[in-house]
Amino acid sequence: MAAGLPARGVGAAGPDGGLPRRSRDLTPWLVGAITVLVLFVFLLYPIAKTMLSSFVPQGEALSLRNLSLSNFERFWTSPLYKSALRNSLVVSLTTTLIATLLALPAAYALARIRIPFKNLLLSLSVIPLIAPPFIGAYSWVLLLGRNGIFTHYLNDWFGITLPSIFGPFGIILALSLSYFPFVFLIVQGALAAADPFIEESAAIMGASRWRTLRTITFPLVAPSIASGAMIVFIRALGNVGVPSVLGSDYYVLPTLILFQVEGFFNLNGAAAIAFVNVLLVLTFLLVVRRLTGKRRFVTLTGTTQRSRMATSLGARIFGNVYVWGLMALALLPQAMVVFSSFAERWAGTMLPTQFGLGNYQLILGRVLQPIINSVWLSALAMLMALAFGTITAYVSLRKRFKGKWLIDLTIMLPFVLPGIVTGVAYLTTFNSGPIVLTGTAALLVFGYFVRRLAYAFRSVSASIGQVDPQLEEASTICGARWARTIRTVTLPLIAPGMLAGGILVFSTLIGELSVTIMLFSGTTKTVSIAIFEYLTSHRIAPASAMGSIVILITLALVFAASKLLGKSMADLFR
Amino acid sequence: MDRQRHGRLQVAQLTKVFDTQEGPVTAVDAVNLEVEAGEFFSLLGPSGCGKTTTLRMIAGLETATSGSIRFRDRDLASLPPADRNLGMVFQSYALFPHMTVMENAAYGLRVRGSPDAKVKARVLELLETLGLGGLHGRYPSDLSGGQQQRVSIARALAYEPDMFLLDEPLANLDAKLRVQMREEIRRIQKELGVLALYVTHDQEEAMSVSDRIGVFQLGTLMQVGAPEDIYRDPTSLFVADFIGKINFFSAARAAGDGVTVAGGFETAPTRRHALSAREAADYQVQGAGSPHAAVVAVRPEHVTITPADDLQPGTEHASRGVPGRVRRVLFLGSMTRYFVTTDGAMKEVMVESPRPIPHVAEGMAVRLGFDDHDAIAYLADA
Repeated sequence: MAAGLPARGVGAAGPDGGLPRRSRDLTPWLVGAITVLVLFVFLLYPIAKTMLSSFVPQGEALSLRNLSLSNFERFWTSPLYKSALRNSLVVSLTTTLIATLLALPAAYALARIRIPFKNLLLSLSVIPLIAPPFIGAYSWVLLLGRNGIFTHYLNDWFGITLPSIFGPFGIILALSLSYFPFVFLIVQGALAAADPFIEESAAIMGASRWRTLRTITFPLVAPSIASGAMIVFIRALGNVGVPSVLGSDYYVLPTLILFQVEGFFNLNGAAAIAFVNVLLVLTFLLVVRRLTGKRRFVTLTGTTQRSRMATSLGARIFGNVYVWGLMALALLPQAMVVFSSFAERWAGTMLPTQFGLGNYQLILGRVLQPIINSVWLSALAMLMALAFGTITAYVSLRKRFKGKWLIDLTIMLPFVLPGIVTGVAYLTTFNSGPIVLTGTAALLVFGYFVRRLAYAFRSVSASIGQVDPQLEEASTICGARWARTIRTVTLPLIAPGMLAGGILVFSTLIGELSVTIMLFSGTTKTVSIAIFEYLTSHRIAPASAMGSIVILITLALVFAASKLLGKSMADLFR
Repeated sequence: MDRQRHGRLQVAQLTKVFDTQEGPVTAVDAVNLEVEAGEFFSLLGPSGCGKTTTLRMIAGLETATSGSIRFRDRDLASLPPADRNLGMVFQSYALFPHMTVMENAAYGLRVRGSPDAKVKARVLELLETLGLGGLHGRYPSDLSGGQQQRVSIARALAYEPDMFLLDEPLANLDAKLRVQMREEIRRIQKELGVLALYVTHDQEEAMSVSDRIGVFQLGTLMQVGAPEDIYRDPTSLFVADFIGKINFFSAARAAGDGVTVAGGFETAPTRRHALSAREAADYQVQGAGSPHAAVVAVRPEHVTITPADDLQPGTEHASRGVPGRVRRVLFLGSMTRYFVTTDGAMKEVMVESPRPIPHVAEGMAVRLGFDDHDAIAYLADA
């Protein structure tokens, strides 16, 4: 029966025996070593070098003898530094608070009230996350600025005079409405997954709805709230685009970094500000962790039983008005961008006087190159992030070795590092020393890659976690070598997760600003830089046209990914 | 059939130590084992006893800490698992969900580079044998548990492996299907004449399919033998207890070959084994540590019950038997089961009789007896 089969197994060497083939496959180790090397060169080393440089006075060489605190002294001597630090704290803490408070009732309403077009609502909530916040930020000037569309109505009808949109009010407004979906999606997911019987048993024991909410539901989702709030805080603290557009002379740490680099090329000073920025993030992380503890409540059950829905008309009307109203408000800036992109004449009047495609014609000659740059830089970074993300996820989940936690920790590091810090780190590190990449496209690609590696790692990790290791063992036992098992069993099974991760990385890189603004050069100007330059010089028409194109591209990509994977758009971001 | 495939498996001093957070844990402790060509051999034991780890070391999925595994007089340790030419059935079946039944079953043949036509013919024939004819285009998710099991057997046997390894293959099936499948697995194994290693925690399953069984406890291979031998003559309290049902009586060494069961019953079991200090402690044997400590083990079907009233006081019969009282009588159709509380037994004594014993009812004082050749003695100083 075995005729025609190539010889295999113990008898393969022949009846007389002979030395067995000793083929210890070193590929996994080689791959692991390369991964560690890449993580070290492009992540740990730049960050370590930046942290060290922050202790070196500007203009002096990096050496242990030159270490001093002179860069940090400004935080108590310079009024600009002092106010930037205070402003950053005010903006990020207030944004986190408002975003969380906006998100929680919406998440609860979605879990407990019948809401028509719920899936549409969830998909829409992803848009503020995909569209770079700075693109929509200027819309608030058009809506609530001195000559804004709403400003007159608010003043004439309600007698409300808003504070200036340029300054903390505008920044916090724009950031809160951009970032609340992080909390909303995570908490909504946790509420949807929570075992309805837990709440029901509380109700049966006589607890009122409010008491159940306070003593059962809230503690159950508290960890989810905390992780959502942490993401908002980190994003708000690191955002450079919105305070650049709406900040005017109101400086926060990221704009101060930008100021130091663009104005004085004071890299060591920027490194010191970045250091303080990172310290704030770490402090916040520690405080939140302390408050919520390490508790994780897993209440996933197999039941298809739905949670008790509120049936009172009042609750339903209020809930629907709230969630749809919030969503409308959050999408207003994006809608406004698209709207104003078609406005050909808009001067001195509340609404444009002429509509057309003029703005698109205007940018036609200038938009192509930045878009092409954005696309290929993002695509290259995405491919790298996917390749390394997949390998590290695989190694981290499938192999047992000492020091694995270090790889896991390193790869998640960019999650807690504000983008501008990565930017400063790259600028500092690759400006001199063994690897010089200043002004090259490679610098941006590596910066993007490191910035989004964690995204790819997370999506692929989730997919690999779904693949039973015994499938790979079964393939091995059937005679397949390492490479063949990966190719025929593992890769086909994790392909959907890789695709989702890839699209997530790519679509969030198209409009990336905080790393780009530190690392771009004349030849690598991206679409986000083009928009940023138009916005900061108050040329709204071309900015809106380009912004609309970016919003459209990213939205189409995320939509395609969700269709391809059969997952909802919201699930891609949870 | 290919004679070359026949070979014996020799496992010597096989040891596996896992490094855990609580320190090193010995999962498999110096296991020695020889399995003959074509033999159906079961590794039996409770969960966590090291049987699966032993199998996985033979498969090459775990690396042995020390010891050797030889097949056909060649060391397997130097061969990566992919080159060992083994077939394996996993507890979860581990079918490739993105491949059809055909592609799953053909996987090993394709890896070996067999020509497509040959692969197809061979796999279709095998699927037919396994009762899967016509299902080759389906995906595993469309199959029942029993069908998935058969596909996984087909995948493991399609390329005619040198050894057939099965890791709790029936654990996920319902009781009726389990009985049917184990018969089928044995039939195919005997047809192909391939050496089979079968891991299970179910002693009935092991007894019914195996030529020989190796019983594991806490990483140690306690006893190896044919099912009847292990049942008839377990060499340790653990094996006696784990295989089938058995009653343990506390006892003490008497003069000569004699052993006195608590309550005064004298017996001289023909089968005698050592009572290890560890087991004496594990089973809380009375007088553990004393050189006279002993345990007498008797299967429920070998214990007799006599109403105490039938014995005249002062006669020789009065000492024949262990005094006790019937607590519960269960009529189970094919047999009747009695639970008797005694002073001498370490637990309640279970007695099974093919038909109800006349005049014995619940609450009645009785005497329990057994023949010397039905009893096994475990002696502290043997």
